[in-house]
Amino acid sequence: MTVFKTSMRNFFAHKGRMALSAIAVMLSVAFVCGTLVFSDTATSTFDRLFNSTSADVQVSPAGQNAEEQAEGDKPQRTLPAADLEKVAGIKGVKSVEGDVVDASVTVANSDNDNLGSTTGAPTIATNWDRAERKSVAIASGNAPRGPDQVMIDKDAADKHDVQLGDTIRTIAGPGSFTAKVVGIAEFKATNPGATVVYFDTATAQAKLLGKPDAYSTLMVTAEPGFTNELLKKNVAAELGGAGTYKVLTKAQVIEEGKNDVGGFLDVMKYAMLGFAGIAVLVGIFLIVNTFSMLVAQRTREIGLLRALGSSRKQINRSVLTEALLLGVTGSVLGVGAGIGIAIGLMKLMSSAGMNLSTADLTIKTTTPVIGVVLGVVVTVIAAYLPARRAAKVSPMAALRDAGTPGDRKAGAVRTVLGLLLIAGGAAGLWQASQADKAADGSMFLAGGVLLSLLGFIVFGPVLAGVVVRIISAGVLRVFGPVGRMAERNALRNPRRTGATASALMIGLALVACLSVVGSSMVASATDELDKSVGADFIVQSNMGKAIHPEAAQAMKDVPQLAHVSEVKILEADLKLPSGKKVGTDVNAASPTYADDLRVETVAGSLKAAYGTNAMSVDQNFAKKHGVKVGDSIEVSFKDGRTGTLKLAAITSSDVALDKGAKYLSVATAARYLPAAEMRTSEMITAKAKEGQADAAYAALKKDLKPYPQYEVRDQADYKQQLKDQVGQMLNLVNGLLALAIIVAVLGVVNTLALSVVERTREIGLMRAIGLSRRQLRRMIRLESVVIAIFGAVLGVGLGMAWGATAQQLLALEGLKVLDIPWPTIAWVFAGSALVGILAALFPAFRAGRMNVLNAIATE
Amino acid sequence: MTTAVATRTAVAAQARQVTKAYGTGETRVVALDNVDVDIARGQFTAIMGPSGSGKSTLMHCLAGLDTVTSGRIWIDETEVTGLKDKKLTQLRRDRIGFIFQAFNLLPTLNAIENITLPMDIAGRKPDKQWLQRVVDTVGLADRLKHRPSQLSGGQQQRVAVARALAARPEIIFGDEPTGNLDSRAGAEVLGFLRRSVDELAQTIVMVTHDPVAASYADRVLYLADGRIVDEMRSPTAEQVLDRMKSFDARGRVA
Repeated sequence: MTVFKTSMRNFFAHKGRMALSAIAVMLSVAFVCGTLVFSDTATSTFDRLFNSTSADVQVSPAGQNAEEQAEGDKPQRTLPAADLEKVAGIKGVKSVEGDVVDASVTVANSDNDNLGSTTGAPTIATNWDRAERKSVAIASGNAPRGPDQVMIDKDAADKHDVQLGDTIRTIAGPGSFTAKVVGIAEFKATNPGATVVYFDTATAQAKLLGKPDAYSTLMVTAEPGFTNELLKKNVAAELGGAGTYKVLTKAQVIEEGKNDVGGFLDVMKYAMLGFAGIAVLVGIFLIVNTFSMLVAQRTREIGLLRALGSSRKQINRSVLTEALLLGVTGSVLGVGAGIGIAIGLMKLMSSAGMNLSTADLTIKTTTPVIGVVLGVVVTVIAAYLPARRAAKVSPMAALRDAGTPGDRKAGAVRTVLGLLLIAGGAAGLWQASQADKAADGSMFLAGGVLLSLLGFIVFGPVLAGVVVRIISAGVLRVFGPVGRMAERNALRNPRRTGATASALMIGLALVACLSVVGSSMVASATDELDKSVGADFIVQSNMGKAIHPEAAQAMKDVPQLAHVSEVKILEADLKLPSGKKVGTDVNAASPTYADDLRVETVAGSLKAAYGTNAMSVDQNFAKKHGVKVGDSIEVSFKDGRTGTLKLAAITSSDVALDKGAKYLSVATAARYLPAAEMRTSEMITAKAKEGQADAAYAALKKDLKPYPQYEVRDQADYKQQLKDQVGQMLNLVNGLLALAIIVAVLGVVNTLALSVVERTREIGLMRAIGLSRRQLRRMIRLESVVIAIFGAVLGVGLGMAWGATAQQLLALEGLKVLDIPWPTIAWVFAGSALVGILAALFPAFRAGRMNVLNAIATE
Repeated sequence: MTTAVATRTAVAAQARQVTKAYGTGETRVVALDNVDVDIARGQFTAIMGPSGSGKSTLMHCLAGLDTVTSGRIWIDETEVTGLKDKKLTQLRRDRIGFIFQAFNLLPTLNAIENITLPMDIAGRKPDKQWLQRVVDTVGLADRLKHRPSQLSGGQQQRVAVARALAARPEIIFGDEPTGNLDSRAGAEVLGFLRRSVDELAQTIVMVTHDPVAASYADRVLYLADGRIVDEMRSPTAEQVLDRMKSFDARGRVA
C-alpha cells in the first residue's frame, strides 16, 4: 500500500512531466480504437444493407460472379420467366419476385457527367416493380412507368444535383438509352455510396438485359415454418439442372456480399492498424525516455528511500506502478478520442463518397478492452528498463551531490551489439538485392529491414556523438557560443539523444523508403512506356469497366486514327504437348496491338502468333513447361470450344507491362467462342495517322465524351496519371505515417522539456552571467534542431537503403530504374529542421520564463 | 566596459531606501527594510549577518538578479531598478561579475570556455593579455582544457573567480564564494579576490557568514532583520567574530 501511495504521489507530483507520455499513449490507443470502431461500423452498415436488400432465398444463373458482372465485359446471364413460374409453385415458397439488376451500367446526365461514385462503389440499374421493396422508399415523385421514365436514389441525386424532370442516360450492355427522372428513392438503411437507378420491369428487361421476359435473380420469400435452408433445398431440387442455377440462402448472400466489400475493409483496417502499431513503437521510445529522465532526476530521492530501507523490488514496483497509472490514464483518454477519430474518419469517407451514418456507430465491447490493455501493456513494458535502473540506485546516491547525472558514455556492449545488428541487416539487404527469386528476396528484405532498424536503434547513441558533431560543424557553428552550448547539450546524454532521434527515425525511414520505391515505380514505368509503348492513345476505365462496344465503335470511327487495337482477356485451359494442363488467362488482341505494345520475342515472331490458330507464350512459361515454337497447344476456352493452336512465338519475360501475357488474335478466339461469350475489351489502344496526332486526340476526346466512364490518354497523360496515382498512394501512406511522426515530435518536446527542468540551475547560472532570454531560447531550439536532423539523417539513410534494396528486388518484377527523389529527401530534412524548431517552442518558452534566483539559489 | 575613467564616481553601486517584501497582509515578510548603502569603487566589501537577515537579498537586488519592492539602485550611473529584462541581462553580462557558492560552471564547457563564456555570449573578443594575466593569477594555466567534473572544488571556484575577473566588470558580486570549500582552498580563493582588488583595482561585494572570509575585506556591513545595523573598516577575523557575538547577545536579550 505504501508503495502504491508513493507512486500515486509521484505520479501526481510529476503529472506535467507525464503529460506528453500520456498524450503519446492516448494517440496510439485512439488510432487503434478509431480504426476498430470505424471498420466495425462499416461492416455493420454493409451487414444492414445486405440484410435489407436480400431475399430469404435467391436464385441466379450459375457461373456469374459479382466482379465479372461489374466489369460488364460480356452479356449478363439470365433466367427465363418460365423459371419464375416454376419457382412460384415450389412448396414453401410464399412469393417470388424477378429482379433485373445490372451493376455494369454507367449513368450520365445531359452534360455527360458520370453520376456514379468515384470511390469504387457500383452503379446499379434495376427494376422498381418488385413488390416488396423493403430497402427503399419513394422520397419524391413517383415510380417509373414505361420506357422513358427512371427513378434515381436520393444520395446520388443530391450529390450530382439531379432534379425531377432531368434527363439521364444509361449506358447498359445492350446499348445506351435516355429516360426522364420521375422519382427519387431513398434507402432505409445507410447506402454507403452506390448510385442506383430504377426502371419498370419491362424496360429493365429490354434495355438492361436485352431480352424480354428474363430476370437476373429470383428473390424468393419463404412461407412461415420453412427455414431458408429448407427452402433452398426445395428450390434447388425442383429446379434441378445442376450447374445451371446458383441457389443461395439469405445468410449466404450476405456472406458473399461481405466477402466482396470485406476484403477492401480488411485491407484498410489492417493497414491502419499497422500504422497505429508504428506509432505505438515510436511511443515506446517516448515513454522510455520519460521514465529514464524521471528516474535520473529522482536519483537522490530513490537513494534516500533505499537508505531508509526500501527494497529494490519496492523501488522497481513503485516505478512500474507509476507506469500503470500513466497507461490507464492515457488509454482511457485514448478510447474516448478513438471514437472521435472514427467519427472523423466517417466524415472524411463521406466527403470521398462512402456514406456512413454516425447513427450506425458500432462500438464493440472488445474495442475499449483492446485499447486499454494495449495502452497499459505498452507503457509498463516501456517503463520496465528505467524501473530496473531505478532499483539499482545505491543508497549512497542520497549522500552524493545532487548535480545532474554526468555524461554516460555509450557502452561497449551497445557498440558491439549495434554493429552486429547493422552488419546483419546490411547482409540481409545485400542478399535481398542479389536474390533472383522474389519470394527469397522479400524474406531477406524483411529480415534486413528489421535488423538494420534494431541496429540503428541500439547504435543510435553511439552514432549521436559522431553525427551530432558533424551536423554542428555544419549548422551550429554559425551561431557561435550559443550553438556550441546547444551541441554540448545534445551530446551530453547520448542515450537520450539517440532514443529521441530514433523515434523520429522510424517514421522518416518509412517515408524515405516509400518515396524511393514510389519514384522508382514512376521512373520505371515511364521508362518502359518510352521503350515499349508504340500506341499514341490508351483508352480505359478508371473503375475497371470493360470498353462498351458502342465506345469501341466510336473510336474506330475517328478518321484520324491509323488503327485501333482491342485486347480481350479470356480464360482458358491449355493442354501442353507433355499432357500437362494449365489454367490461365490469354490475351486475345488485334494484330495491330503488336505495334502498340512492342514486346521482344526470343523465338518465333509475334506477327505469326497473331495468325490464324496461332499463339504466343512468354519465356518463363516456356521454360517452366518446356514448350517451344512449333508445338501444338490445345486451348479450351471457358464457355467455348477447344482448339489446337500452334505456338508461333515466345516473348521476353523481361517486361513490366503485360508481364506473362499469352497473345493470340481476336479472330482466332472468335473461332472457338460464341459471340455471346466473347468479352469486350478491357482496354483499347490506338495510333494516329502520320502527323495527325493532335487532331486525333481532340477527336477521340470529343467522340468519347458521351462515355464518361472512360479516360482517353496520350502517353503524356498516361505518365502523368501514373505519377498522380503513385503520388496519391504516397500521400495517403505519409498521412498515416504522420501519426508516428507526431508522436516522435512529442518525444522531442518531451526530451527537451524534461532536460530544461533538469538543467534549471545551469540555465539560472547562464542567465545570471548574462545570457539573454533570446539566446537561451535559441540554444534550446538549436539543440532541438540538431536532434531532429540527427533523426532525419538516420531515417533517411536507413530508408534510402531499404528503398534501394526493395527496388533491386522488385527489378525482377519490372521495377528496373532506381530513382532517388532528391526533392523529397531535401524536404524531409527541411521539414525535420522545422519540426525541431516547433518542438522547442514550448520548452524554450518555459526555460525563458524560469526565475533566475530560484535557479541559482543554494539549497 | 571601457567607459571613460573621468565619468566614474567613487561609488560603484548604491542603494537608496531599498525595501524588499514578500507576500501581503498577515503573511508579509520584509527582507530588506529601507536600506541605504554605498559600495565604494576599488574596495572589497563584505556583507555579513545571520541567516534570514537579508544579506543575500541585498546582494541579489544590487546585482539586478532580483527586483525591489521600493527604493532605487544604481550601478555606477545606471539605475538598475526599473530596467527591463533585456537591459538587465546586458548589464549583468557586460558590467557585473558573479561568483556563487556552488554550481558556478557549466558542466559541458571546459575551464577556459567557462572563463570566456560571458564575453562569448556578448560576442566580444577577450583581451588576450588580460586573460593570460587572470589565468596566471588564479594559477589555472595547466587546467584550462579540463571539464568542471575533472576539477576539485577549490579549482572550480578559482575558475569561477577567473570568469568573474576576465570580463573586467565594474563590480563583482560573490555569494558565499567559499561556503563549499575547506579552509585552505577558501583562503586561496579569498587571497585571489584580495589581490584582484589590490593589484587590479577590482570592486568586489561578497556575502558571507564566515568571519575569516570577512576579514579579507576592506569594509564589513552588518545586516540584521533587513537593516544595516553596523559597519567596520579593515577588520580582523577576531574583531568580526566579537562583533557578531555581541549581535547574538543583543538578539538574545531582545
